[in-house]
Amino acid sequence: MPTKNIKNKFNPIILAIIIAMIINPSLSIILMIILIIYIKKNPKSSFFDLIKKNIGNNTDSQTMEETEQSIVEKITSIKPFITQSFFNQTRLVKNKKYLQIALNSTLEEAREIISQIPVSDRILIEAGTPLIKIYGAGAISQIRNMAPAGTYIVADNKCADLAAREVEMMANAGANASTCLGIAPIETIDSFIEECGKFNIDSMIDMMNVENALSVLKKLKKLPNAVILHRGVDESEFSKEKQIPYYQIKQIKGNYNILVAVAGGDTIREVQRAIFNDADIVVVWKNFYQSNAETAKLAESFLGEIR
Amino acid sequence: MLNQRSKYLQIAFNRSLDEVRNMIALLPASEKIIIEAGTPLIKKYGKTGIIALKNWWSGKIQKQGYIVADLKCMDRGSREVEAVAEAGASAATCLGLAPTETINEFIRECEKAGIDSMIDMMNVEFPFEILQKLKKLPTVVVLHRGVDEKEKNREKKIPHDQIHKIKGTYGNVLISVAGGETPRDVVRTFFNDSNIAVIWQSFYETPGNTANLAQEFLKTIKK
Repeated sequence: MPTKNIKNKFNPIILAIIIAMIINPSLSIILMIILIIYIKKNPKSSFFDLIKKNIGNNTDSQTMEETEQSIVEKITSIKPFITQSFFNQTRLVKNKKYLQIALNSTLEEAREIISQIPVSDRILIEAGTPLIKIYGAGAISQIRNMAPAGTYIVADNKCADLAAREVEMMANAGANASTCLGIAPIETIDSFIEECGKFNIDSMIDMMNVENALSVLKKLKKLPNAVILHRGVDESEFSKEKQIPYYQIKQIKGNYNILVAVAGGDTIREVQRAIFNDADIVVVWKNFYQSNAETAKLAESFLGEIR
Repeated sequence: MLNQRSKYLQIAFNRSLDEVRNMIALLPASEKIIIEAGTPLIKKYGKTGIIALKNWWSGKIQKQGYIVADLKCMDRGSREVEAVAEAGASAATCLGLAPTETINEFIRECEKAGIDSMIDMMNVEFPFEILQKLKKLPTVVVLHRGVDEKEKNREKKIPHDQIHKIKGTYGNVLISVAGGETPRDVVRTFFNDSNIAVIWQSFYETPGNTANLAQEFLKTIKK
């Protein structure tokens, strides 16, 4: 960043002028004249560059010089900045409990559920995998529009390969966090975490069907922001004996300073159990036999519970 | 439906829909070509992407085109399969590393919807172990080396030796190989008795060259 250097270089001069002004006003005038002569004699000095950069960017002569390619480069370099500053400001905080409501059915149902849940920074909205695969990344921007401003949105894209492209897509659609599978190749997870850092969104690793989450974490170059302990819906429906490995929550938190999310289920009892076991985020979803109001009620009792 | 005896070239598309439209127009109208809606394309456009690909390719070859939806299903198999079958996909993929219950459910749902089931063995060391656990066999087993893996770790190779083993044990299963990108890789894939070779990178990098690339790859089948 050249601007920073220039500022550092010229601050002492300005300071000197001010001090001189206090001691003797005429001395400061002499100093100012010297400075003006210096700039005039060295038009290519960094001070001049600074002025040119700040004002000159908008003049015609400069834009004329710019080739198409440099414009394209500029736009692409600005893009992540825009998404960062407009959508992705909210990040998860440690030592705070969150309820993540997964929306998996249709956008119409998503709208209805969102309208009924209480507004709170402890409630995260998840664009579920089926929703993303059926409606595309547009589902995320639509959910962002439905939800109150500043809502934290998780894109459950369950990345398995080509992490860089997926993260970019999710971040640009307005997600605050994106998920990657723990069973994906380590190279993919590493690249996923790195890309999430670039786009200033939280990275979550979904440990579904991973026997030992710690062994995956050990292999990574950098830690993700959150780990999701997960029992799949198909699994839990067809083999009831498979349990969420609650004991792993303490194990992970004891070894690494990261958030642990637990895919809880659809009742307040399961939510309580996850919180009791020290989970930071509890993921809940609506079952097809439940009404939307029940999901909203679940959110309310969660907020009552953690207070 | 796929023919057991035939060899197929599966081209995965991951660019924007506008570009994909032009690329499909450039392809030779060959039934040996299978069009794949790549995972990033599905996650970007959803069902709409699959419907578009189906229409363009069917229009090009003047009959129902074969479209693979690379869902990489991990959970909730039935819902995703239903959606892509409705959009006109002829096959869908499920991860081999997904819970066994999900794979079983996925295969069952594919049968119900009348589409082919493909199990993607990316990051699976022994595809056998997974096939053994299943209630029913999928239509296709995909032997796969991921893109991120390949770029960062050159030692990982496509397990060509697995093809014969799987075919010897489970006669009816078709084998697809993904992760080899040059015509040489494709020749080797078919030589090792694979039924489908999946490619995408050269098409992704030079979409304008689609026609030539496809011709070049199709030549490898005729040998």
